[in-house]
Amino acid sequence: MTAAPVTRSPRRTDDVRGENVMTAMPSTYGRRSALAQGMTLAWRSLVPLRNEPGRLVQFLLQPIFMVVVFVLMFGAMSGDPEHAARYLMPGVLTQVALISTNTTGMNLAEDIVNGVFDRFRSMPIARSAPLAGRVTADALTTAVTISVALLAGIAAGFRITATPLEALGGLTLLLVFTLALSWVSAWLGLKARSVASMQGTATAVLLPLTFGSSAFIPPANLPGVLRWWSSVNPVSHLADAVRALLTGAPVGAHVWVTLAWAAAVTACFVPLAVRAYTRRIR
Amino acid sequence: MTYAIEAHGLVKRYGDKAALAGIDLAAPPGSVLGVLGPNGAGKTTAVRILATLMSPDGGRAMVGGHDVVKAPAEVRKLIGLTGQYASVDEKLTGRQNLVMIGRLLGMSRTTARSRAAALLAEFGLEDAADRAAGSYSGGMRRRLDLAASLVGRPSIIFMDEPTTGLDPRARADLWRIVHEQVAGGATVLLTTQYLEEADQLADEIVLIDHGLVAARGTPRELKARAGDRRLEIRPERDAEKAELILAEVSGLAPHRGEDGLLSVPLLDPAVSHAVFRRLEEADVPLSEHAVRRPTLDEAFLALTGAATTGRTR
Repeated sequence: MTAAPVTRSPRRTDDVRGENVMTAMPSTYGRRSALAQGMTLAWRSLVPLRNEPGRLVQFLLQPIFMVVVFVLMFGAMSGDPEHAARYLMPGVLTQVALISTNTTGMNLAEDIVNGVFDRFRSMPIARSAPLAGRVTADALTTAVTISVALLAGIAAGFRITATPLEALGGLTLLLVFTLALSWVSAWLGLKARSVASMQGTATAVLLPLTFGSSAFIPPANLPGVLRWWSSVNPVSHLADAVRALLTGAPVGAHVWVTLAWAAAVTACFVPLAVRAYTRRIR
Repeated sequence: MTYAIEAHGLVKRYGDKAALAGIDLAAPPGSVLGVLGPNGAGKTTAVRILATLMSPDGGRAMVGGHDVVKAPAEVRKLIGLTGQYASVDEKLTGRQNLVMIGRLLGMSRTTARSRAAALLAEFGLEDAADRAAGSYSGGMRRRLDLAASLVGRPSIIFMDEPTTGLDPRARADLWRIVHEQVAGGATVLLTTQYLEEADQLADEIVLIDHGLVAARGTPRELKARAGDRRLEIRPERDAEKAELILAEVSGLAPHRGEDGLLSVPLLDPAVSHAVFRRLEEADVPLSEHAVRRPTLDEAFLALTGAATTGRTR
C-alpha cells in the first residue's frame, strides 16, 4: 500500500504490523483531542448542507416560508399588519427555533439505525464526541435558522424597537431554551427504534408546545382548555419574553420563568440523554 | 503461543435465549479465521463482543492482547470493523467519509486527505469519490465501508458477513482486498454464511451453530471429516452396465445422481483404476470421471446436522 504516514500510530505501519499486534499504542486521548473529534463530527453534520444545494435551500427556505405565512399572510388577515408583525414575528422565531431541535434526535436515530454509530463506538475516540458534535452542529444551524427568519421578518416589515442589548438578550434566551430542548430531542433519538418513530414522537411533542402557546395568539383570546394549556405552556413564557425583549416592552417575569424551565429541562434531559447514550455506546 | 484474537467460553444471552453458549476462538497473528454458520448462529454477536460493541455475559476475550471488557480503549486502537450493514454516512461523499475517519483518528488534514485518496484508489472508488455515499451501489458501499475500517491501518480486522448480498464480481473484489490485508500482516476474523467464501479465504474455520462450536479446523480438515472421497463417473451410454461394474468392483451400491452421474465412496484408491479398466474392456465410454472430496457444503451439512439444512443458504 502506498500510504501517507499516519500520525495516530507511527509504529504500526504496514511493514511492522505483524510483529506489533501485541504492543500497546500510546494511549491518552486528552481533552484537546476530544474537542477536535467533536469539531470533526460537527463538521460532518454540517457538510450535507454544502453537498446538496437542495438541502441547503430547503433549510434556508423553511424559516422564510414561516415568515411569509404567519407575518405577511396572517398579518394581512388581521387588518393591522404592522401590529400583527410585532406580535407574530417573535412567535415565528420561537417556532422555527424549537422545530429545528427535531434534527438532533433524528440524526442520532439515523446514525444508530444505519450503523454509523457502531463505527464510532469501535474507534478510539472520546465517548462523548459523537453526541457533543451533534449538539454543537445543531446549535449552529439553529442560530442560522433564527438569523434567516429574523432577516426575512425585517424584510417583511418587522422592526426591532428595543435596544441592541435587549434584542441580543432575547435571541440568546431563545437559543438557550432551544439548546435545552435539543437534549430532549437527543434523548428521544437515542431511545427511538427508527428514524420515523423519532420523528413522530418529536412532532407530537413540538406541535402542541409551539402552536399551543402565546407565540401566535394571546392566551386570552383562546377558549377553555386551550387557554389553560397556553397559559401553563413554558413556550408561552419564552415567546412572551422574546417578544418583549425584541420590541422593548416590559418583560415581567417571563425571562426568569423561561430560564427556570430551560434549567429544569437541561437538568432532567442531559442526564437522561447521556444515560441513553452510554447504554448505546457501552 | 500468543493469539491476535482469543476467546474463551463466550456467553451472551438475550432474555432467556443464549445467542452464544460458550464459544472458544483463536486466531494467530497474520491469519484469517473464518466463523461460519447459518443465520442466527451467533456470528454477529461474537463479532460485536470482540469489537467492544457489547459485553459478554460470560467468558473472556482478548484482542491484540487486551481484554475487550477491561481495556476496550486499547482494543479499539488496534481494530477495524466492517459489517454486513455498511455503516457509512450516506450524506457525505466517499471521500468525506474517509477524511472524517482519518481526522477522528487524529490525522492532520493533509494526512487524512492523502490517506483517503490512497484508499479510494485502492478500492476502485476514485470515480465516485465525490458523490454522496447514499448514491453508491451495494458493492461500492461495502468497499467504502471496508476502506473506512482500514483508514487507521488496523492490525486486526473484523468483517461481519462482508459479502452478503453482493454480486459475484463485487464478492471477488472483496476477497482480493482481504488477501491483500493479510499479505500486509493483518489478522482477519470474517464471518460468513458462504462455505465457498470460508474455503477461499480462511486458514482456519470455526463452524458455529446455535451458539456453540460445531466443528473447527482447516477447510481441508473439515472436508475430510465430513466423509470419504467419492469416485464419480458419467457414462456416455450403457448406464446400467456401468452401474453394474461400479458395484461389482467397489462392492458398494452406487449412488445415482443427476444426469446419469454415478458415484461410490472411494475407500481404496485401487478401486478407481480397476473401475476404469473394466469400463474400457466393456467398451463403456465416460463423458466425465473424477475423484472428489466432499464440498464444504456437504461438510457443513454433515457437521451441523439436518436441523440447519434449510438455513445454510
